Amino acid sequence: MLSFIARNSIQKVITLFFVSVISFLVIYLAPGEPSQVDPLNPKFTPEMVERFRQQFHLDQPLYVQYAFFYGDLFTGKTVSWKDNQPVLKKVWERFKNSLWLFVVGTLLTWTLSFPIGIRSAIFRGGMYDRSATFFSYLLISIPGFFFAYVLIILVVTTLHVPVIDMETFGLGDPPWYRWIMDRVWHLLLPSLLGATGGIAVLSRYVRSQMMEVESQDYVRTARAKGVPEEQVHYKHALRNALLPFVTMFGLILPGLIGGSVIIESIFAWPGMGRMAYEAILARDYPIVLTVNFISAVLVLIGTFISDVLYMVVDPRIRL
Amino acid sequence: MTIRKILILVPIFIIVFLLQSYFWVPTYEQQSRGNPGRLNEYITASIGDASLLNPILSADSASSEINHLVYEGLIDYNEDLRFRGRLARSWKIYEEAFFYVNEQASIPSIGRAGAEEIVELLRKANPGTRPFDPQMKASLENIEEITLLPAREFVITRQEKEGTGSGQTKEITIRVNAPARIRLVLKEVDQFLFQSLSKILGEDYFSTFKGEKYVRITPEVEPSRKMQYIQEVLPSTEHNPIIVFQLRPDVTFHDGHPFDAHDVKFTYDAIMNPKNLSPRLSDYEPVKEVTVVDPHTVRIVYKRLYSPALGTWVMGMLPEHLLNEEVLQKEAIQSGKDPEKFSMRQSRFNRHPIGCGPFVFKEWKSDQYILLDRYAQYWEGPPHYSRYFYRIIPDPLTQEMEFYAGTVDAYAVRPHQVERLKEDPTYQSFSGLSFGYSYIGYNMRREPFNDPRVRRALGMAMDVDQIIQYVLFGQGERITGPFVQQTDYYNKHIKPLPYDPQGALKLLEEAGWRRNQEGWLEKNGKRFQFTLITNSGNELRKAILTVAQDAWKQMGIDVRTDLLEWAVFIQERVNKLDFDALILGWSMGIEPDLYQLWHSSQTHPYQLNFVGFKNEAADDLIIKIRQEYDHEQQVAYCHQLHEIIAKEQPYTFLYVGKWTAVLDKRIVVKETDTEGKVIYKKITPTKTGNYMFYFNRWIKLPEAPVFSPEG
Repeated sequence: MLSFIARNSIQKVITLFFVSVISFLVIYLAPGEPSQVDPLNPKFTPEMVERFRQQFHLDQPLYVQYAFFYGDLFTGKTVSWKDNQPVLKKVWERFKNSLWLFVVGTLLTWTLSFPIGIRSAIFRGGMYDRSATFFSYLLISIPGFFFAYVLIILVVTTLHVPVIDMETFGLGDPPWYRWIMDRVWHLLLPSLLGATGGIAVLSRYVRSQMMEVESQDYVRTARAKGVPEEQVHYKHALRNALLPFVTMFGLILPGLIGGSVIIESIFAWPGMGRMAYEAILARDYPIVLTVNFISAVLVLIGTFISDVLYMVVDPRIRL
Repeated sequence: MTIRKILILVPIFIIVFLLQSYFWVPTYEQQSRGNPGRLNEYITASIGDASLLNPILSADSASSEINHLVYEGLIDYNEDLRFRGRLARSWKIYEEAFFYVNEQASIPSIGRAGAEEIVELLRKANPGTRPFDPQMKASLENIEEITLLPAREFVITRQEKEGTGSGQTKEITIRVNAPARIRLVLKEVDQFLFQSLSKILGEDYFSTFKGEKYVRITPEVEPSRKMQYIQEVLPSTEHNPIIVFQLRPDVTFHDGHPFDAHDVKFTYDAIMNPKNLSPRLSDYEPVKEVTVVDPHTVRIVYKRLYSPALGTWVMGMLPEHLLNEEVLQKEAIQSGKDPEKFSMRQSRFNRHPIGCGPFVFKEWKSDQYILLDRYAQYWEGPPHYSRYFYRIIPDPLTQEMEFYAGTVDAYAVRPHQVERLKEDPTYQSFSGLSFGYSYIGYNMRREPFNDPRVRRALGMAMDVDQIIQYVLFGQGERITGPFVQQTDYYNKHIKPLPYDPQGALKLLEEAGWRRNQEGWLEKNGKRFQFTLITNSGNELRKAILTVAQDAWKQMGIDVRTDLLEWAVFIQERVNKLDFDALILGWSMGIEPDLYQLWHSSQTHPYQLNFVGFKNEAADDLIIKIRQEYDHEQQVAYCHQLHEIIAKEQPYTFLYVGKWTAVLDKRIVVKETDTEGKVIYKKITPTKTGNYMFYFNRWIKLPEAPVFSPEG
């Protein structure tokens, strides 16, 4: 076990290094320059553009820039080019906002998919199963932004309440329970939208896992023994069907930082995904690279966790 | 079974909990009832967040919008887009002009003359002793004072960069043995002064002045460099326009510190400080010096004639006591940064700005909102609204939805919605023309675009009205030249190109293009073929691209089109002048200075006259406009320039967009009449369409008011 962890960590550090080089190259070699070096603003003289390039080290060779950037990142000194704010502070602030969306979204996905999928598996081929299948594919194939617009327009025009942003503007100073409920309301739509895709996919997955397990010999044996149907489904079948999902849990970690660019932009949610997206548009390299790096780290940690979980859950597997 | 129950009950509970929150959220109607304070708040939305709330450092529109409320400039534009005083109560513009005595030149009536004789000659020439032409008469009458500055010696040292590499510098010593100089104080700025004087002193009096005789440079430099230095330290003639601002005496910053002339000087110095990397540097480069005459008078001397100069003082003034070197050093040490490298750019002031504008900065949550409070001690009286929210909502559709839900007070309508929302009785709407235009530019260095007939024909072949009607949903107007349509500078007598494909064909035939058997236009066996490009991601431009291609194909022109990513489009094609024709737009300021866009010296790669427009008459007018301080005269030059550009058609000028904004109907203008009675008035836009002009007097009412017809 220890040797596995050690081996794995070394591999991951090497991977991380390559990720850092590649993402750095991709971003620096892509056409376009930071908005501060805007070539079409008549007020910018060439000398000023030159000075900005110097300030951002853009006049240095790429490997020097690479060293500058990662040196700053590890000492916590990176600042955004847009507003000179420390990048890590910005990331942390946004992370806190994204976290709520992520938690509620994940909660919805994981609590809803199981009952839906299990019922489909139990009554396979029936009316319920067929409509569940239909809606799953419908939700998978509807583009997220379109669905978001439809929902927003429906809610605002029929209920006349605001849904955008993290809170209702112009509430003044409401009592704390009102404030919380207002926040919960604003969480509802974006997290629901973030969850729909997940629910559709995961419930399909649960269904097929359940069906596979239900056709196993030990399930048939249990039935033959006269175990009540409910117990067969929920005790014998479900437990075994759950195995792969435990490992999937580790893989949702990266979603924490990527968040959802589209949902966050549409709902004016000040989260990570939106910040990264806007930073890309403005060519704010420090932010883009930092987010990139952190998400790479999270992906690696996520795979690591799922490897470990797999070992813990299924004693047959030895790495 | 418990597992089953848990599996079903947990999601149901979560969903019910989420859904019930709906009952706690107020609808549009309930918002002001539940929280009467909402009526004193103005909430607006923007697509993007601000970057730095410091007027000398930021260049983006969101930051400017907030800076405009938090800071105050010396002057700004009034209802008619002319200047009015803000922090400056009044101002005076005059000029000091200088010229060196040219002892070698022979003066028509008296031959060679020394300094005293010339002063004498000019004094005598004063009002009308000879039959003068009007320009000379005006110039002479404008002279208020003539003084003689004796000859003097001085030494200047310069640090020059060696070669192109950075770091190495060379010290150059310039010894000047300057001859006597004559100083003229003028009542008003006069760009033709020296032309007029040369009629008295001789045509070549100023041009034959040899500076090199009086200058010694060590070590030796190359001749072209040398001429440049001489031109700089010993110019034969010099115009020094001067602006003197009288400041309001009792204005304070939001922290209570009084505002005075030192703050003006500080703001100027901060812009010029290379450490700050101010994007406004080029605006203030022509300033020679800023001097504090007394705490409420500041005097700005310019190196040369530069009429857009006055407009630069619209910029907000910074508080010196919060940003001077000492304070910044302290902040650097406090936050553990290198005080050497620390500049205003890094200061936390940019996120907690303090100015003397109508609103006080309160809070800024990145990508969420910026909150401002009313400034009770605002010199013009505080605004009616007590709070100003600037929300950041990146998506236009959700902005609209927030407007319907009542959590944003204004919405900028998109073209296709105008018809629907303009007539909606629940809102009040305003519309006007934007400061900018779209055009098709031709690379005039290339065949066949070097022929004005061809450019005109291409413009005539396109039905621009149709573009406006179908692509812009009617939300645009034709434009014929490079000035802002609402200003006087725009020549309203110029008619747009007619839509006339037959006429266009005739023009092309004159230029030698004839249809061949396949129907393509041909000249000397070569087909009329070119590529029209624009940037991707702009649906309007993409539509125009197609319309233009279709219109020109019908004439028999083989047009290819290409959409390029913005960065590639600018860097590879526009900056490197590698294009035939392109679709682009300019957004403009009010000042009529067109030097960078249209002067023939700006046609090199990476410059903005990328179409390569060169016209001597236009160059002359562009310079004259830049140097003219008299509005009427400037307008006259602009009209001439507009005419030349419209005749030459370097661009096919397409349209200027129309904007429409809808506002909650409960927002009105609140005024108090002479008897102290409060009256509410409907919001009316200014002549130029600016409905926000009287923003400080706006307020929201609990119910939409009904106004009598006369408003």
